Amino acid sequence: MDGKGATADPQLQQFIEVESQKQRFQQLVHQMTEVCWEKCMDKPGPKLDSRTEACFVNCVERFIDTSQFILNRLEQTQRSRGAFSETMYE
Amino acid sequence: MDSQGVTADPQLQQFIEVESQKQRFQQLVHQMTEVCWEKCMDKPGPKLDSRTEACFVNCVERFIDTSQFILNRLEQTQKSRGSSSATMTD
Repeated sequence: MDGKGATADPQLQQFIEVESQKQRFQQLVHQMTEVCWEKCMDKPGPKLDSRTEACFVNCVERFIDTSQFILNRLEQTQRSRGAFSETMYE
Repeated sequence: MDSQGVTADPQLQQFIEVESQKQRFQQLVHQMTEVCWEKCMDKPGPKLDSRTEACFVNCVERFIDTSQFILNRLEQTQKSRGSSSATMTD
């Protein structure tokens, strides 16, 4: 938030930044829990067995890989397709 | 946001515009990651294999095609049906 006219209080600014980051992280945990539960959990048993846990490990890593892949691909596509943006954004 | 009465500071205006665009792009990446993960990922493994990556590539492109198609179709429908908008929008 470098723009003029935005809050002039650097302490408040940093507070906002830290809180926003916490929120984004929490949303990520929430989303990944849902996604990996869907992919890895068969019928819930009396405990998390090691196969399910191994799947969770892979799931978190592959989801991050996927997110990066999609980002790269989207940037690439945007460059070659030009202004598809009017359909995609809101 | 060109109307009078909104901020008179062009620098702030541009800052807002750029940040908004970044946010819309991030939301798009987020949505596409979720959608393509659902369609392309079987059981998460130790790495992204080439078949899954190929699926991601197709997924991104087809999702954009779909969005464009829906937009066109909706515009067409709106033109021929006239005021269907009373039921659809809002």
